[in-house]
Amino acid sequence: MFEIQNMTVRFTIGEALRDASLRISPGDRMGIVGESGSGKSMLAACLMGMVPDAATLSGRLTIDGVDMTQVPEIIWQTIRARRVAMIFQEPMSALNPLRRVGDTVAEPMRVHLGLSKTQARDRVVGLFEEVGIPDPTARLRMFPHELSGGQRQRVLIALALACDPELLIADEPTTALDANVALKITDLLVNLSTSRNMALVFISHDLAAVARATTNIAVMYGGDIVERGLTAEVLANPVHPYTQGLLAARPDPRAVPRDANGNRRRLPTIPGTVPPLDKMAQGCRFSGRCSVERSECASVKPMPAGPRHAACHAILRGAP
Amino acid sequence: MRPLPANFIIGAVLVGLVVGVAALSLIWTPHDPTTLNIRGKFGDPSALNWLGTDQLGRDIVSQLMAAARNSMTVALVAVLLGGSIGVALGLLASAVGGWVEDIVMRLADLGFAFPALLFAIMLAAVFGPSLTNAVLAIAFINIPIFARVARASANQIWTREYVLAARAAGMNKLAITGDHILPNIAAAVIVQATIEFAVAILAEAALSYLGLGAQPPASSWGRMLSEAQTLMYLAPDLAIYPGLCIVIAVLGFGLLGDGLRDITDPRLARTR
Repeated sequence: MFEIQNMTVRFTIGEALRDASLRISPGDRMGIVGESGSGKSMLAACLMGMVPDAATLSGRLTIDGVDMTQVPEIIWQTIRARRVAMIFQEPMSALNPLRRVGDTVAEPMRVHLGLSKTQARDRVVGLFEEVGIPDPTARLRMFPHELSGGQRQRVLIALALACDPELLIADEPTTALDANVALKITDLLVNLSTSRNMALVFISHDLAAVARATTNIAVMYGGDIVERGLTAEVLANPVHPYTQGLLAARPDPRAVPRDANGNRRRLPTIPGTVPPLDKMAQGCRFSGRCSVERSECASVKPMPAGPRHAACHAILRGAP
Repeated sequence: MRPLPANFIIGAVLVGLVVGVAALSLIWTPHDPTTLNIRGKFGDPSALNWLGTDQLGRDIVSQLMAAARNSMTVALVAVLLGGSIGVALGLLASAVGGWVEDIVMRLADLGFAFPALLFAIMLAAVFGPSLTNAVLAIAFINIPIFARVARASANQIWTREYVLAARAAGMNKLAITGDHILPNIAAAVIVQATIEFAVAILAEAALSYLGLGAQPPASSWGRMLSEAQTLMYLAPDLAIYPGLCIVIAVLGFGLLGDGLRDITDPRLARTR
């Protein structure tokens, strides 16, 4: 079980993650959604022990109750791959262009599990089969540029699975792929999570992919987790104004493009953009873009409350 | 595929010529380059001595060939030695960062500030002039050059996503350096090595010219040049041949290095 309690990651220009709490049990499939710069990747970096040196951390990260916050890098090197592994957004740049993909995947097994070259090779073949790479013995010897985007992402998934981690973090794993391949990769991750009883953290701004892949969801904005709960419930009935705005901004392919008067329908959007870290409001970070903003929002940080842990003054005080 | 740049082709031909002649001298030269023949001194080019003989009657072609071999050996050993140490230091600086990086790079600055010839003269003064000391001096000046190139290239690679992926797979910095950093900076290092090879040939010639490199009877272009200097009015051709050899070798490696750079990094290719 991975647990983050009141985690804050502070850089000199501001806080990239603010008072975040999250619990991931074995086999959980947790989606993390939010705009770019909302702290999704920083949360992943915390779970990997890979927060940049320039940041100061406060709060706790525990793995099976053991506090990992003060653990040195050398211990983290034995945790990564074996207990928690990660796949990345852009599969081309996440593979060394000069290495055969089989060698890349075999490496952690040789280092962490002490397997010989042939043992590791056999396991890579098995992993490639598990992640759906056809003709694995031939693919082993290929270089990244010889594979398609979907296959590269499958190679990276195989790399992440190499040492049977308990938790797999997928940081926008489908963003760089076309819709059809993205769907297959999403389903693959779900199947792997189920068959291996492996927890999955699925970071994305693709709400459809998150809905398909996860059982739980955490919505992030500006370094805050603003709402969390069961994926189906949150997406069907969002309570935080940011989640509501995010869901309203989804294009609906079935919607009529023109209204009764013949005017083109506009996609609803959340006004403004995510401000840079040093321009964030001290209170609720969504203040300034929020439709139900109250006078105290910009200065007082709302505490998570209710079954959804929604952090919003308007909800706390009843309907605005 | 794009056509090979002209500087690469010309450089490769010249280097091939010099290296070929040097290799040939290992097994065959027209005459023994050190055999004296006082009666036949200042001989004109003939079927027997293609470029004639020098002031002691030695065959010039044979001397030039033996000198090519010496020059290549010195440059090769010096660049390999200095390059390996420099690259290792650069990789260390890049991997560890912080104060280690600061110290290594400030030492490299110090090495840069130190004139190579002065260092060689100092070595010769302390340990006596010899080819070994010349090699060490040339190797020494190569250390900071390679340390800088390796560190600058490695720093770029460390920010790549596949390095992040390797870290996420629990690799330590040593393993990442060996698996990911070194292979990806190899092109830059090889280009630099080719150019430094040209510099090393010139440095060897200069040191031998000053009497700090190859000692008699070992052949060296630089030493042939210095001996010919005093006979400039009597036999100017004695100075021309070794001078031409130095030009060909330095030009060849210089062009080859430039050409390799243009091939490995087309963005840096000069627009003509």
